[in-house]
Amino acid sequence: MLVVWIILALVVVAVLWLVFTYNRLVRLRNESSQGFSGIDIQLKRRADLIPNLVESVKAYAAHEQGVFDEVSEARSRTLSAQGVGEASDAAGRTTAALGRLFAVAEAYPQLRASENFQRLQEELADTEDKIAAARRYYNTVVQQYNTAQQTFPASLVAGTFGFTPRDFFRLDDDGDRAPVSVSM
Amino acid sequence: MTLQQQIRANRLRTLVVLLGFGALCGVFVAIVYYAYQPGVAGFIGIIAIVYGLISWFAAGSMIAAASGAHPVTKEQQPRVYRLLENVSIAAGLRKTPDLYWVDDSSPNAFAAGRDPDHAYVAVTSGIVELMDDRELEGVLAHEVSHVRNRDVRLMSLAAVLVGVIALAADLLMRITIFGGGDDERDGGLGGLAVIVGLVAAVLAPIGASLLQMSLSRRREYLADASAVEITGDAEGLARALAALRDDTQPLRTVTRATAHLYIESPLRDHKGLRSSLGGMFDTHPPLEDRIARLEQMGGFTLPQPA
Repeated sequence: MLVVWIILALVVVAVLWLVFTYNRLVRLRNESSQGFSGIDIQLKRRADLIPNLVESVKAYAAHEQGVFDEVSEARSRTLSAQGVGEASDAAGRTTAALGRLFAVAEAYPQLRASENFQRLQEELADTEDKIAAARRYYNTVVQQYNTAQQTFPASLVAGTFGFTPRDFFRLDDDGDRAPVSVSM
Repeated sequence: MTLQQQIRANRLRTLVVLLGFGALCGVFVAIVYYAYQPGVAGFIGIIAIVYGLISWFAAGSMIAAASGAHPVTKEQQPRVYRLLENVSIAAGLRKTPDLYWVDDSSPNAFAAGRDPDHAYVAVTSGIVELMDDRELEGVLAHEVSHVRNRDVRLMSLAAVLVGVIALAADLLMRITIFGGGDDERDGGLGGLAVIVGLVAAVLAPIGASLLQMSLSRRREYLADASAVEITGDAEGLARALAALRDDTQPLRTVTRATAHLYIESPLRDHKGLRSSLGGMFDTHPPLEDRIARLEQMGGFTLPQPA
């Protein structure tokens, strides 16, 4: 009789552990999804700033069509990006293209002095900060999520219920984001 | 200790402290029940519960009023508001807390509110003038950590519980002193009841405050650690704390009841004496300790004050 009770107790403990582990993985998965949509919101916000920015630079440097095309292309990639890989790729391109756009703007003191341009530049710098903040949160949560899946014995639960590791949101030019906040 | 270990250790301590709080309330109720008639215990209990509920639901606005804080918009304070938005995003909050402003040249900041969706972070005009963006970001991240870690709720609860126990003890004392005629249940117990009642009335609020303070000190270390996780910049926060250490202006609008909410104790003279009880009643750990922990986390050393 005692053996039956012991087995029963073990089963109860195992089920409780299973429920707890499963719920923890679900929570982390939801948090990482929420974290990614946080980045996405900021990337879209940056994309929304681009048309005005291009227009204001175009007024002074209409001949720099190559740069404008590059920025527009990066923008449409951002808007159509699916998943972390495409989004981070588009984000890297946008940052690089905007860097070139501001390099062009450098040559026009009147443009740099205009209130509209300064406001756009400020907005853009703010959005860049917010992208960095959202990325930091997402990457922290993804690290927790992936670690939770890979450590034994939770890895058994993760494998059985189809939890898969998520990609970090990487930017190729990490540490080289300076071009956007142009010094005057 | 790593950050994760520190967080886990703090959670455990918080649980222990809360259990202690519960035990204290239980002992207090038991003493009153056995030493006096059940009617007295019931009377005190009902008043204490009503008082507790009222202060719990009015906590947020009462704190704002008591500390002279008023809400400001993004347009009025774009710099601070943007920094607050950034740290809220990095902390993974669904909503940026409201920004409140205190017109006071003493640098300080606090967070309040019942849950993360209805929270606010208040800064004094002094702290905004004193600090650069990096330092201010550290301070705001510290406050946002309090919001995210549900500290603001826990601390509001602690403040209410302390208030309830103090009120109950006060009532008990008055009943014991002025209502002596009624509790002649049987000869010997009457005298004993008075003594037990008085001791309980004196000790309960002291015990409750001790628990509150120790809870608060632990939470400060945890919020510092979380702030570093949010900003990834231990040095910014350490420099902010050093700036607070070097500033000795006391805050004008502050009471003992709201002291534990601030980033740095608004009551203590930073360079002066520690209390004779070895800091047991302090709401905040010494700034030197907090800076030292940040230095260890970030692997840097701030220059010593002159």
